[in-house]
Amino acid sequence: MKGIVPLLLGIFGTLAFSWAGLILIPNYQIGHLDPQVDEDGNDPYPAPKSGMANRGRRIYAANGCVYCHSQQVRADYAGSDIDRKWGVRRSAPRDYLFERPVQLGQMRLGPDLSNVAKRAPGEEENAAPAASPTPAGPATPQASPATKPAPGASPSMPPATASAPPATSPAPSSSTAVAAASPSPAANAASTAGTADAAHGNPPLYTAAWHHRHLYSPRSLVLDSNMPNYHFLYEKRRITGERAADALKLDERDAVPEGWEVVPTYDAKCLVAYLMSLDQSHPLKEVKATAAPPSSAPATSPAAAASPAPAPTKEAK
Amino acid sequence: MTVPVATTAESDVTVRDVEYVERALIDASTRLPVLFFYGSAIAWLLLGTLLAGLTSWKLHAPDLLSNISFLTWGRLRPAHMNVMVYGWASMAGLGTAIWLMARLCRTTLRHPLLLIGAAAFWNLGVLLGVGGILAGDSTGYEWLEFPPYAAVVLFIAYSLVVSWAILMFRFRRGDHIYITQWYLLGAFLWFPWVYGAAQIMLFVVPVQGVMQAAVTWWFANNLLFLWFGAIGLGTAYYMIPKVIGRPVYSYHLAAVGFWTYALFASWTGMQRMVDGPFPAWMITASIAATILTVIPVATVGLNHHMTMRGYFGLLRYSPTLRFTVFGAISYTVFSLIGVVLSLRSMAGYVHFSEASVAYSHMGLYAFFTMTMFGSMYYIVPRLVGREWRYASLIKLHFWSSTYGVGLMVLMLLVGGLAQGVSLHDPTLPFTESTESILPYLRGRSVSGVLLTVAHVVFAFHFGLMLFGLGRTASVPTFLNPKEEEALEARL
Repeated sequence: MKGIVPLLLGIFGTLAFSWAGLILIPNYQIGHLDPQVDEDGNDPYPAPKSGMANRGRRIYAANGCVYCHSQQVRADYAGSDIDRKWGVRRSAPRDYLFERPVQLGQMRLGPDLSNVAKRAPGEEENAAPAASPTPAGPATPQASPATKPAPGASPSMPPATASAPPATSPAPSSSTAVAAASPSPAANAASTAGTADAAHGNPPLYTAAWHHRHLYSPRSLVLDSNMPNYHFLYEKRRITGERAADALKLDERDAVPEGWEVVPTYDAKCLVAYLMSLDQSHPLKEVKATAAPPSSAPATSPAAAASPAPAPTKEAK
Repeated sequence: MTVPVATTAESDVTVRDVEYVERALIDASTRLPVLFFYGSAIAWLLLGTLLAGLTSWKLHAPDLLSNISFLTWGRLRPAHMNVMVYGWASMAGLGTAIWLMARLCRTTLRHPLLLIGAAAFWNLGVLLGVGGILAGDSTGYEWLEFPPYAAVVLFIAYSLVVSWAILMFRFRRGDHIYITQWYLLGAFLWFPWVYGAAQIMLFVVPVQGVMQAAVTWWFANNLLFLWFGAIGLGTAYYMIPKVIGRPVYSYHLAAVGFWTYALFASWTGMQRMVDGPFPAWMITASIAATILTVIPVATVGLNHHMTMRGYFGLLRYSPTLRFTVFGAISYTVFSLIGVVLSLRSMAGYVHFSEASVAYSHMGLYAFFTMTMFGSMYYIVPRLVGREWRYASLIKLHFWSSTYGVGLMVLMLLVGGLAQGVSLHDPTLPFTESTESILPYLRGRSVSGVLLTVAHVVFAFHFGLMLFGLGRTASVPTFLNPKEEEALEARL
């Protein structure tokens, strides 16, 4: 090599080029996104997570969940993610606005968790296919206000903006409050639908109770799972007075002695709160929605009903 | 008539003597810091191997030790990776780089004791980081799991090391800058930028949302290519010509290889996030850059091959050459596999599978670690003044490393493909994909046994050298008994 100066300039320039190209420009493009709102400034998505869920994300990161569970749904042409009902649409940068640390992951020794809070009974591949047919009583009425106003409003508005629910009350109840609302419809749906599970005394799929039980004893719920158990997030203690309300209902393989109970620690509750907040079903303007879920999953399942599947298609046009 | 002849002979001897003494002085000045870096690196290698064994075993025995919080799989895995990356690979690389820099700049290392301080700081940083991860303090960013307090310590240690390297370069003798020095200088200047930028953009002025993942993977691939890759390639460019005693085939090719490497390899980061939630152009650019790295791979490979041509017989004798050439070949294979894995049509299957773990191990083990072993077999005898004690142990080390890493990569690639194909078919239950890779994961654990043997044997052998129990001989330890005449004839 001729001299030191070209060498140093080249060393500097090549990395500067890559830094500008892969960090600075993308940061300019997608590094300063705002939550999406409708034309009235309502229905913001995504919303910041609750304090418990944020702490739960720390637990999730600290215990390395990301090394087995991704949180990104690829488009339908790029993989089977949507066919596996891990989401109704592909993930977009805006979905991760408030995520820190972001846990995209690049390994799937466990299922993708982007929408685990939204995944309804019967959509889990291990569950009996018969789990979904009974439409959940409370879920349908709750979801319908969100979908109904859209067609009604469209004549007066350009189609591009038509999809957003016009007014206040229905929208937040079904969309913004996902974190809070989703457990209840899911639980309701599951309690009616997941009767097969209930017969065994197992909690309905993807409810908070199910997550706790699954974290404590994965193989008691999913036979072939190779997830480790997280006993250290739970406390085994002697029952004093009354049995705690949140004590785990365990089957015989994990049975604790008479007079003892297993209760989640605060960390475990936060972790489950975080899992119950993972939901990317809200439509985004920049993402073309994939076609409605295949017929095997009836549109009456809470996930499909709560996310207005037809709406984003209209927006995209 | 007789007078001039005598003078020439006399001056010849003098020049050789001076060079010999000069090299000995330079080696002596690097002795303590380099041995300290090497010793620490090997200690971390043993710990990392233990963690790797647990990580691998627990994948097919998930309830093993799982009720102890700091031994849960999700903490052991990043602990293993960080011990290997920052403890073993970086420290071994730094040791080799310091020694090479001193040799190539033909200058003694000034104030070597301060470098020992730097190595101590580095050890402290890794210790804090690994302790933090196991205690549940991981940051959650892959390749950057060390909590910021550990990263700060690492950075201080690094600054000390790099100042020394740059100082040596400043006081170099002779105008010529050898190929190895380009790579080392690059590595020394790229690392602080890559590491510093990642730390700042994740913890000091954090970027938003998915940009964190972009920063993480930009960092991870640059650490792999511009730090480990550059040190590894630089070492190979020194060791291969040195051992066979023949100049590098082409300087021109080397320059092309270096600059295209710096240009393209630095753009490959987003290849790890194929079809992720990013603007498609970022990922496409990285895939294109990954494909373009074929150019530096081909030029470097060709250059090494042409240098070695006619001398491949020496692989029978020289441990350094054998390890280094294995590393150089692995670099080619690693890069080509990287190209295949990153193509969108292929990534649809293998993305999110164990194949990415195979890829990382090819880069960090089959290429970098083997090259470092090779350099240690060359450098350590020159530092301790003894030759390696047992040729049989070197052979055992080489073959168990080779078969170990070969088996591991094979298992993870084939298993990853099986896993990915099952994942890709939505009619199969998800657990089918984890079931389909289980046999391969067990096979990978078997490969871990081989690697453990290799590392323990090497650590034992290194320990012998360290305590002055090597052979006192003027000829290096050859892998196979060498008849001097036969070798001369071959040459």
